Amino acid sequence: MGLYYKIVKKPWPYWVGGILLALLNISLLLITGSVWGVTTGLLYWGLFIIESLGANPASWYYFNVYSPGFRGGYTLILNPHSVLNIAIIIGALLAVLWANQYKFKKIKNMKQIFFALAGGILMGYGSRLSFGCNIGAYFSAIPSFSLHGWVFGVFIFVGAYIGTRILYKYII
Amino acid sequence: MAEYKLDCLHEVCPIPLLKALKSLEKMEIGDILIMHTDHNCSIANVVEWTKKQGHYIDYIEIAEGEWEIYIEKAR
Repeated sequence: MGLYYKIVKKPWPYWVGGILLALLNISLLLITGSVWGVTTGLLYWGLFIIESLGANPASWYYFNVYSPGFRGGYTLILNPHSVLNIAIIIGALLAVLWANQYKFKKIKNMKQIFFALAGGILMGYGSRLSFGCNIGAYFSAIPSFSLHGWVFGVFIFVGAYIGTRILYKYII
Repeated sequence: MAEYKLDCLHEVCPIPLLKALKSLEKMEIGDILIMHTDHNCSIANVVEWTKKQGHYIDYIEIAEGEWEIYIEKAR
């Protein structure tokens, strides 16, 4: 068992990933002054698409009451959220290429398309109601000593429990 | 001693783990479950969960990014 196998090919234990994510998030806060989040970047991309289709989301009630944090000087790609999201994709790609595990995933069946789309829409909608996903509103909130991270965490477990039960009983 | 095949290709967490759980429930002690997956999380979470349950498990990479996971039901 060489070093290549141990470090590059074999999945790292969860505790190693946990410590690394914590250290990286602390460095991110130190260097940029804000913590890691994912869905806000996706929100910008979504808004860009519907704006190019002719809609005017800036006039929507939601964005007038709750600022999406799109500051002056940000562009679609040149904002911290998009840069981080793209970097995550590049980093993940490098990791699988290095491990020789790159593979195109096919769509299995219509059922998979339906549930993937439905799940994506539900998660996107939920992430806007809670102002973040399991990264921004949970993983980054708890080390910031914010109570909302703990509330989010409790309901992740409730949701995951119910979701898994439904999945196990009726879907797979 | 029967052998069961489980196709988990193109499926992501937690589907492969739940499918394995469901198959193992129906199997007898000593039966073998062969999972075919291309989701690299499965060789972490399925392996960890199965070991915790006390079953025997091993896996090999059969192609780039594709694995076969062998589980023998032990209890």
